[in-house]
Amino acid sequence: MNRFALSSPRLRRVRQAAALAALAVLTACSSSGPATTANPVTAPPTVQAYSGPAPENADVQAFKINLWQNIEGADKCGGCHHAGGQSPQFARSDDINLAYQAANTVVKLTQPSQSEMVLKVAGDHNCWLASPAACGDTLTVWIQNWAGANAVGGTQIQLVAPPSQSVGPSKTFPASSASFAAKIWQPLLVPYCSRCHSDNAQTPQAPYFASANPDEAYADAQSKINLDDPAQSRFVVRLATEFHHCWTTSCAADAAAMQAAITAFANGIPTTQVDPSLVVSKQLSLLQGTVASGQNRYDSALIALYQFKTGSGSVAYDTSGVLPGLDLTLTGNVSWVGGWGINIAPGGKAQGSTEASQKLATLIQSTGEFSLEAWVANGNLTQKDADIVSYSGGDTTRNVTLSQQLQQYEAQVRSSKTGENGDPAMLTALANNSAQASLQHVVLTFDPVAGRKLYVNGVFTGDVDAQGGGTLAAWDNTFALVIGAETSSDHPWTGVVRMLAIHDRALTAAQVQQNFTAGVGEKYYLLFDVSTLVNIPKSYIMLTGSELDSYSYLFARPTFINLDPTQKPTSIPIAGIRIGLNGAEVGVGQAYIPLNATVSATNYSPTAGQILSTVGTAIALQKGPASDQIFLTFEKIASKSHTVVAPPPPVPPAPVDTAVNPDLGARTFDKLLYTMSNITGVPVTDSGVAGTFAGLQQSLPSTESIDAFSASNQQALAQLAIEFCHQLVNNSTLSAKFFPGLDYSQPAGTYFASQVHVNLVINPLIAKAQIVDGHGVQVASQPTVAAVTTELNNLIAQLSNGQNGAGRTAAVTTAACAAVLGSAAIVLH
Amino acid sequence: MKSPASRRAARAAAAATCALLLLAESAAPALADPTSQAQRIYQRIAGVQPSDATLDAMVTDINASNPLAAAQLATSDPSFYNVVLKNFVTPWTNRDQTVFAPLNDYTATVIGMVRDDVAFNTVLSADILYKSNASGLPAVSAANNNHYATAEQNGIDLKATLVATSQSAAYGLPTAATAGVMTTRGGSSAFFINGTNRAMFRFTLINHLCTDLNPIMDITRPPDRVRQDVSRSPGGDSRIFLNNCIGCHAAMDPMAQAFAYYNFDGVASNETVYTPGVVQAKYLINSQNFNAGFITPNDSWTNRWRQGPNQVLGWSSALPGSGNGAKSLGQELAGSSAFAQCQVQKVFKAVCFRAPQNQADRTQVATMVSSFKSGGYKLKQVFAESAVYCMGP
Repeated sequence: MNRFALSSPRLRRVRQAAALAALAVLTACSSSGPATTANPVTAPPTVQAYSGPAPENADVQAFKINLWQNIEGADKCGGCHHAGGQSPQFARSDDINLAYQAANTVVKLTQPSQSEMVLKVAGDHNCWLASPAACGDTLTVWIQNWAGANAVGGTQIQLVAPPSQSVGPSKTFPASSASFAAKIWQPLLVPYCSRCHSDNAQTPQAPYFASANPDEAYADAQSKINLDDPAQSRFVVRLATEFHHCWTTSCAADAAAMQAAITAFANGIPTTQVDPSLVVSKQLSLLQGTVASGQNRYDSALIALYQFKTGSGSVAYDTSGVLPGLDLTLTGNVSWVGGWGINIAPGGKAQGSTEASQKLATLIQSTGEFSLEAWVANGNLTQKDADIVSYSGGDTTRNVTLSQQLQQYEAQVRSSKTGENGDPAMLTALANNSAQASLQHVVLTFDPVAGRKLYVNGVFTGDVDAQGGGTLAAWDNTFALVIGAETSSDHPWTGVVRMLAIHDRALTAAQVQQNFTAGVGEKYYLLFDVSTLVNIPKSYIMLTGSELDSYSYLFARPTFINLDPTQKPTSIPIAGIRIGLNGAEVGVGQAYIPLNATVSATNYSPTAGQILSTVGTAIALQKGPASDQIFLTFEKIASKSHTVVAPPPPVPPAPVDTAVNPDLGARTFDKLLYTMSNITGVPVTDSGVAGTFAGLQQSLPSTESIDAFSASNQQALAQLAIEFCHQLVNNSTLSAKFFPGLDYSQPAGTYFASQVHVNLVINPLIAKAQIVDGHGVQVASQPTVAAVTTELNNLIAQLSNGQNGAGRTAAVTTAACAAVLGSAAIVLH
Repeated sequence: MKSPASRRAARAAAAATCALLLLAESAAPALADPTSQAQRIYQRIAGVQPSDATLDAMVTDINASNPLAAAQLATSDPSFYNVVLKNFVTPWTNRDQTVFAPLNDYTATVIGMVRDDVAFNTVLSADILYKSNASGLPAVSAANNNHYATAEQNGIDLKATLVATSQSAAYGLPTAATAGVMTTRGGSSAFFINGTNRAMFRFTLINHLCTDLNPIMDITRPPDRVRQDVSRSPGGDSRIFLNNCIGCHAAMDPMAQAFAYYNFDGVASNETVYTPGVVQAKYLINSQNFNAGFITPNDSWTNRWRQGPNQVLGWSSALPGSGNGAKSLGQELAGSSAFAQCQVQKVFKAVCFRAPQNQADRTQVATMVSSFKSGGYKLKQVFAESAVYCMGP
């Protein structure tokens, strides 16, 4: 396989070849064989001219251009591992073949991330960046590029038994930083470590456990403190055995002082004792698990990569290996997320320099296509015009922006078919609710034919770019890459970004799916030793574990497995699994309590074991992935069992008397309708009544509560009462029955001058409103007859006095009727 | 169009009603008598005034120390069904919980069950439906609510015309798939439409166990049945899930699984869709929100509240606490003490215009709950007993 032949027709090859200083060497190799695999992108290396022997073979050449050229400088590995320098001399510049041989002793081409070279640098061995993790990741990319197709994923994971650790008493960090500040931070960390390990140091060096802010320092220091064994604290080991910036002439004395301080801190924390009645497995920490490194991403066209592994500080490193590194500076309200990522809160953003961002425009313009790939968790679904990732110059000019519009994703790309602001924008379909407030894999691709395409969680959204493709010749290389806002800090987006990758190719659907499947963050296989419980050596319950976010672990797929492939366990009942942390069962998230399975020969596979449950669960972390000791307990496993005694249900609190409520209530809308109908005899289906009621219904009381009765209710029910009375008076049959003897043809002024005639109106109303019972006896809870009579007399007198016009008698009667129907005698009950 | 004289009279009348209202308020605390008690019992139950003759009969009952008989007279008034019960039930049948919604089969079925003293603890499980046999109404249809809406518009006497039938007969739903009011068209169109069918569970809790999910959150229940669409790290913060979301979903999801075969098609057919053996797509949406979440395979449900603090809801020891489908879930919910307590409390409030406010009220409610359960879950009886309790001195 020739991974670097120039005969490839791909533009990449041309661009790379032009960029590489070692053009002559490459040309020498270009005559052999067709191109089969795309080379990774590299940038112009700043290396001295190599004048030694030519590479002996293609793999040496691959080593040279992908790894050696990046590390041979004196500012990197070449400063020590040069010819005649420290062994292994993999950065020697006198003979590339010898460098190659030396490099092979410290790299693992099938698993680049597990290369000794990577692990060493990531472990803070002379990293050239402030973050050892970023150095490790960058080295990984370079080795990956060297390895090319050899570094495939999906390899069989070799499960490694963790150290056998029994579940013992444990301690957990207290929430307050006060004790830490008094016993460790103030006396030791501030005076001796703050010149580097503080965010306001002249040359800040993460982690910031000596920050001026004790809470910030406490958060970063926890991973360096071992509460259960202070001597094993990283703070102590670093001084005692690695002699790291001891502040006296005696590192041993400094280490002892540190250990004493940590011991004093730990002694002040109560120990969690393990319940002796529990049936427990052995314990281990997340990081003691076997790394699940089978995931294989498609990264051949990567030009910028942010994995956010640093975990502290104010720089998110570009670990794509494509130089110059387009590192992002975190400003404002940005915090690191456990399990890799950054959390962008209002006012925060991560932005690269315009100079470093130039590589994006340069590389992408040369291919005419690109992909922007991100793992994001939108902070909410109410933000709009919220720029997740933008490569832009301001609010109105951009090369590309991926943003959130409520539950839609939006893509703006400047091309020959769109404006300088990337408009018209392309949105995912409203009905699809593509944007969720959960971790999502979102990919925006652009190619000259189809234009913009969006993929969410590995699946093409189906939205078609109405503008189509085009060229990217108009891209402006003075713009800056920014996450979480516009460069102007407008259009803020809140949420978590756990990875961002920029490719100078449009990923295919299959490649997007591949990267989605690869996931984000590190996963581990956690082997919980249950050998003594099932009485079969090398027996384990395996959980897949990872950091879900800063606050929780994600455990999934409990599996029974025996690391001895000759073992064939049968008939092992397993039920009621609980996850414990640091000596105690966790209270929330116990998804495996209902689990009830039996390991059987039929379902057990020597290589994969037997999956007991397919679901996963979030468990809150306590001390962090390096320190939390995780174990399992069982209600039943093999012959061992533990009966969980459920606590009695809590006794409900004694009820409390409430304020005394009114004894009466107002009739609600339908009650008023039917009551007035019953009294007047006008049916509810009467067109006048039905029409009025339909218009008033929701203005009438909807609840009996007197407290809720309002003036508008009174107005509405008065109108309803008037309508009923109007229909009653104008219906001769009903009226004659209701007001026997009343003569509407008489002139009101004259007619109602007589109390006899007035009583023809008042008495039926009092009777029908049941102010008196059927025998004429006052109902005690109703208004008094005298009071009602007085009111009605006054009303009729006022309305009829001197009014002898036609229809006035009927009108006065209607008014009197409505006064009663709309009164409290009817409304209250 | 009313004449100017009528309008002036109307304004005067409106002013007079205000005066009378004040008058009555000042008169209200006056000592009551059997007539007042009878009047209040009737009005609280039927919403309207009794006739003079009925009032006399009720006074006679009260004077004979049998106020319950007086109350039972009130429950025979058609307005008890057309007005009080209708407005009592209507808010249960829609998500807005508004009383201003058209009559539907959910409401009519409850009214019919109360009229016929059908054991109310079957309201969430029976193959039951009530329709009106009044003339001139459109036929009952699985595809629309015209029958019931027209009955209401026409002022049809529900007490006189409601007749019992079954959902299986009227709608063609398999008998095993019927679950009382939950599977009526009214219930289905409100709570099986769109979404994830969790609404049916939540609103059934609100309406029939008198609690929303928040007051009974229990974060200690196992989350193994929480579906994939529930993010365990909403917005990147799993504390939200572990302190809030899990408190409801851990128990709700395994119970709402009972509805896995139901949907309401609000776009095309406007009918309930029931797919025995095939889980509705709405149960499987947003699967990448938490890929390791539960994938619903069937309509098997489990009541996780039988352990933990929500045991106090009083689950029936005669039932297994798990099953398949909505019908058995309905039995589980209606078999709880909370169900009986809820029905009585709702009636108490509807009649007395207040929630139980002191020990005397709580004792009365407890007594009524006891008689409700032992007496065959007759809701009409609870109305009568509540009205007697609140008839005044």
